[in-house]
Amino acid sequence: MNVSTKKWIFLKVSSIILIPLMFWFIFNFVSIYDKSFNEIIEFFSSTTSKLLFSLFIVFGFFFSALSISEVFEDYISENGLKNVANRALYLSAIVIPLITILILFNLN
Amino acid sequence: MENNSPLSPHLQIYRWHISSLVSISHRITGIINFVALILICIWTAMLLLGEANYSSIEYFLSSIFGKFIVLGLSWSFSFQILSEIRHLIMDMGYGFELKTTRISGLLVIFGSIFLTIIIFVIGKNLI
Repeated sequence: MNVSTKKWIFLKVSSIILIPLMFWFIFNFVSIYDKSFNEIIEFFSSTTSKLLFSLFIVFGFFFSALSISEVFEDYISENGLKNVANRALYLSAIVIPLITILILFNLN
Repeated sequence: MENNSPLSPHLQIYRWHISSLVSISHRITGIINFVALILICIWTAMLLLGEANYSSIEYFLSSIFGKFIVLGLSWSFSFQILSEIRHLIMDMGYGFELKTTRISGLLVIFGSIFLTIIIFVIGKNLI
């Protein structure tokens, strides 16, 4: 299978998974962002929230990185610059959610 | 090294249509959402690392700029959700007629504003 075809399939599958997770997150974010510290921590302490939030950021970063790499493909002509931009993008899409999930699951 | 593959045409070349507006907005909101995800991770990590960070986050989010960020983020996510549903329907082979693309484009634009209002009403009152 062609690399671009694989990328397209990953993009579509991740978007189908991401749509309900985005709904879940944005409704909850709007309801808790101005709540007290204890209420926010209580939200993040539940197993359901931990699991859904982790899935949301993993698929969110995965989908965004694939989408933005398409933009790089369309608008950056210089291969060296495009490679650096893609590496920085994919690295941040792995490291940032990983650190956040580690902190989240270490919460008592 | 120069890549010989063709690049997308610059935005000012073609006359604007609803479809082009939705397409470029989809890409812009995609980039905004990537930045938003980074901010959400920072917000979550700072809160989870201790109560000491809470007051500065609360101060920022209760300011007019902070509320604008939350509202903008909700709209950007709403737009991305509806635009991605439109893309998925088109991937299945539906909605390519000119009239249908205009209607679905308008539904994404106005629907995202309506969805943002719904999110705030439900998020603030029902959850």
